[in-house]
Amino acid sequence: MKKLSRRAFLQGVGGTMLSLPAMESLALAGTTKIAIPAQRLAIFYVPIGVVRSGFFPGEADSPPPAFNDNLHDDDINGAFTKVGWHDLPMTQTLSALKPVQEHVNLITGMDRVFQVGTDIHAQAACCFLSSAAPYDNEIKRSAYPLDRTFDHLVADHIGHQTPFSTLEFSCNSHTDSKESYYFDNISWYGTGHVAPSLRDPRKIYNRLFGTKGGGQNRHITDMVLADATNMRKELGRADQHKFEEYFDAIRTIEQRIARMEALRSELTKVEIDEPAAARLPRGEYIRLIGDLMIVALQTGLTNVATMMVGPERWDTPYMFDGVFEKPMSHHKMSHNQHKFTDELLKVDRFHMEQFAYLVGRMSNIVEANGTTLLDNTLFTYGSGLGDGATHQFSDLPIVTAGGKSIGMRTGKHLNCPDGTPLANLWLTQASALGVKADRFADSTGTLDQLFS
Amino acid sequence: MKVDKQITIRRRGGKMILPIACVLGFALWMYATPKSQRASAETPDNANQNAVHALIKAHCVNCHGPDKQKGEIRLDTLGPAVDEATAELWERIQYAVEDGVMPPKTEPAMKPADRKQIVAEAVRRLKEASHDGTPRLQTPMRRMTRFQYNNAVIDLLQLRVDLFALPEQVIRPYSNYFDPASGKMPDVIDVGNRPMGPNQLNQPRLEGVAPYPKDLRAEHGFDNRGDHLSLSPLLMEEFLRLSRSIVESNDFGPKKVGAWHWLFAPPKQNQELQQAVDHRLTKLLTHAFRGNVSEEEFERYSEFVLGQIESGATFTQAMKEAVSVVLASPKFLYLYAPNDESKKQRGDNFALASRLSFFLWASIPDKELLDLSAKGQLSDPAILDQQLDRMLNDPKIKRFCDSFPSQWLQIEKLFSAKPDADLFPQYYSRNQRASVHLMLEPLLLFETVYVENRSILELIDPDYSYQTEVVKNWMHNSNKYNTGNRVTYQTRRLKFQRVKLKDRREGGVITNAAVMSMLAAPDESKPIARGEWVASVIFNDPPKPAPADVPELSDDPEKLAKMTLRERLSAHRDFPACASCHEKIDPLGFALENYGPAGFWRDTYQNGLAVDATGVLFNKHTFSNPAEFKDAILAEKDRFNRAFAKHLLSFAIARKVGVTDTAALDKIAEASAKDGYKLRTLIRQVVHSDPFINRK
Repeated sequence: MKKLSRRAFLQGVGGTMLSLPAMESLALAGTTKIAIPAQRLAIFYVPIGVVRSGFFPGEADSPPPAFNDNLHDDDINGAFTKVGWHDLPMTQTLSALKPVQEHVNLITGMDRVFQVGTDIHAQAACCFLSSAAPYDNEIKRSAYPLDRTFDHLVADHIGHQTPFSTLEFSCNSHTDSKESYYFDNISWYGTGHVAPSLRDPRKIYNRLFGTKGGGQNRHITDMVLADATNMRKELGRADQHKFEEYFDAIRTIEQRIARMEALRSELTKVEIDEPAAARLPRGEYIRLIGDLMIVALQTGLTNVATMMVGPERWDTPYMFDGVFEKPMSHHKMSHNQHKFTDELLKVDRFHMEQFAYLVGRMSNIVEANGTTLLDNTLFTYGSGLGDGATHQFSDLPIVTAGGKSIGMRTGKHLNCPDGTPLANLWLTQASALGVKADRFADSTGTLDQLFS
Repeated sequence: MKVDKQITIRRRGGKMILPIACVLGFALWMYATPKSQRASAETPDNANQNAVHALIKAHCVNCHGPDKQKGEIRLDTLGPAVDEATAELWERIQYAVEDGVMPPKTEPAMKPADRKQIVAEAVRRLKEASHDGTPRLQTPMRRMTRFQYNNAVIDLLQLRVDLFALPEQVIRPYSNYFDPASGKMPDVIDVGNRPMGPNQLNQPRLEGVAPYPKDLRAEHGFDNRGDHLSLSPLLMEEFLRLSRSIVESNDFGPKKVGAWHWLFAPPKQNQELQQAVDHRLTKLLTHAFRGNVSEEEFERYSEFVLGQIESGATFTQAMKEAVSVVLASPKFLYLYAPNDESKKQRGDNFALASRLSFFLWASIPDKELLDLSAKGQLSDPAILDQQLDRMLNDPKIKRFCDSFPSQWLQIEKLFSAKPDADLFPQYYSRNQRASVHLMLEPLLLFETVYVENRSILELIDPDYSYQTEVVKNWMHNSNKYNTGNRVTYQTRRLKFQRVKLKDRREGGVITNAAVMSMLAAPDESKPIARGEWVASVIFNDPPKPAPADVPELSDDPEKLAKMTLRERLSAHRDFPACASCHEKIDPLGFALENYGPAGFWRDTYQNGLAVDATGVLFNKHTFSNPAEFKDAILAEKDRFNRAFAKHLLSFAIARKVGVTDTAALDKIAEASAKDGYKLRTLIRQVVHSDPFINRK
């Protein structure tokens, strides 16, 4: 395999991407004359919350959160800003967004509900995109208020023609297996049914652009489907429900093979070299995973993608190259916010810079009708914890980006009334992308203000 | 009682929701009880019940009642244990009151007699829950783990090599040291450490077969839990790919595939083709699908193979195609108990055979188990016992020793342990760590207890151990290599020798350098993590997750420099919200404070202050050093025994052990105690238990 420097790889991707026709519209070439780019959804998850004073407007001078044993204490966070629209504040962390500030919104005042009984970090991640109403009767078998996540609901609507209805990426480079799946995945097909993420750039490359096509194994899948049909009859009701995952998986694979075939000739025009096996510095690694996500969105391989910039908790220190000189544990530092304020602010800034980089790249990719990939994508940054030290599920840090063609206003700060469910944002985005639903999870309404 | 209402509490602007099934339970139960029954409420049982509710009201409801629900617990409306959640609450009450954790010291003391009464009531309620028909938790259907898949393919095709590199199988044997039938471990053992030693994953395998990701351990559980073992399109692609790459591997031939001659080799000239195909498929499918295969399915496979041959494939190719289908079929990949009433008797037997073999051999059952199941005989207790004897002495039982102990001890935590290289240069040899050696000590101890069928109490306090030169006297390494120079030692093939331990501070699954150094930061021990580990692993009572708001400890450097770790962490216990848990787990960790971050013995901290390892176990047994700590644990040997049985049962039935399994668990523990806590007796009792047999 030819080893390319990281720079060469990026140039190769960037250069080609600009000259590429909009794939998704070609895939529909028979039906549409004017190429209207597809609408997409992307999520950028940040683990372990943020340092509030560096992130939120009006909190710069407030002391680091102190331990408080009183459950009924008044809400102090987010109380400094009036409900409604404000200028985008360039706080210490948010100032990383300066180059792309016209494309982003800060959204504050969003809450999730914590269901007692599981680890708080695990629930922050695995339920970030589900926010199922706790103790929902349908999902009472699970300790987590975890239901089919938002990305899959959207994909049911806008992802049913792409080879991959969704793609899941993660920048978890840990080699130990310290935590369970719930810390490490934000995308779920349903309760207890994880949509596992890809984290090795080479594996991602091969999955997206590998030349080994399927198709010739049809006789195998026909046989196993016959076995599965027989087997289903022998199962009890609960197991029958779970066993649907097998049929879903086979069906999904068959559809993918057919759709990949349709896209094959276009994909050969994408000049991308296989990423090298060597370990990349953390920032480059995150950006590479992000680039691959962007290429997948751009080429019509998928319209819905999620990425975790790291797993929740996972104490093992690792290198933040260029930020710290030795391996550091984000989680461990977060438990001593007093002592590690500066370091944590660097981590927050570092993650926000990666997000800004991806927003910037998407804004430079021009699509068929002159709009950009960013214009056609709702791209959201967020964490499941409002503060890494307090572990609160309230006042979550949320930044939305893009979506101009979908009608989104950008460049502002929207402060929502205290206690607005995060699910309201997801419902708003889903509706904007054409999903017809009155409710999602524990939503109480939509944020119509976001759309002009 | 269904969970259908909720209480919402504002929490620093966030919300927390509590189930109030338990809360409503008692109230509804009181009101729903017909008058005639309530009139008979003056039985001794009910008198006790009322007395206990009065005690709870007097001592607990102030903090766990309508106004406050500390620890998210509400007790004023606690009812009978009609569901798992309420039963769990009774179990928590039992332990909290029995161990004196509750009421906290800041509240008026509870009389010992009152304590006894509450505990007795809790125990009665729990017994009731496991006898009165409250539905037992069911194990959901689940796919094989990576380790099980590897073994199942090996057993099915009689492969002479592994499919994957399996770091989850820690010990790499360089000789056949593990002979369960001999009942004796050799004095010298020649092994490597697969996940940590250099090149220790390089072993003969099928060329071109790539693994799917390792399955993660469930929190407070094992890697075989149903909700962790789901299937995604991504993983299904892997299974389809695997099923091709195995039969298409260049190595897939008579040399490495033991089943070659009866499965893939072309039949003799004079044999009728269809007969040959049917004969082979019968054998293949019965084994692969664990007996659960219909006439119609045989025919479908038979037609498939003949069709392949008709369209030009060679006999061998056609059989490879069939095997490829089998390896991606759900009937092979999934573990499940058929729910078909018409086939109940046979079905139950086959399901039992699968449960047995996946528990003990991490793989599909062999022919003998399947033949007995076909005759409906396996469930006969005497036959089951014979089979158990056979299975426990079969070399395949090594796979149990390769998966249960390492997960039980959470030994993978050692991968990320990196003691400070300046403070502990002895931990490093060239680019390798001493943990390559250290990790195997507790695992070899477990294997010894298994092979020699010893008491599980020896896991706590054995007078022997297997050690290499590096492990030997590790505790005093600080003196041994006092030169400050780095040392070099072997990290590939390691020679472990059985040694007699003279110092009780060494040996056992707790006080060994692997566990001590994995529960430490690079430059300091982590007593709370150690306490949590002892609570979870040894007593199977993991603390509830820390509350959302965790206090920061004082960080005034001048003050800190003059404090011991214990003094610093005692700040935790000044917060009432933290105290109840930390009073329970902290003593378990402070008991081990003499073991520094690399597992070296220390009498003083770096700041010169003396280490204080004194404490009280369960508010009953005082100790002042690790040896006395072991005495304290052994004084609670029945609690450890039951906790261990619970881990083992959970591993065996691949699910959480629920409160409705209480009676079964008691039975296992009692039988174990009667037979000197022997490990194989415990395994045998688990297999004969109601939850494992799936008896109602």
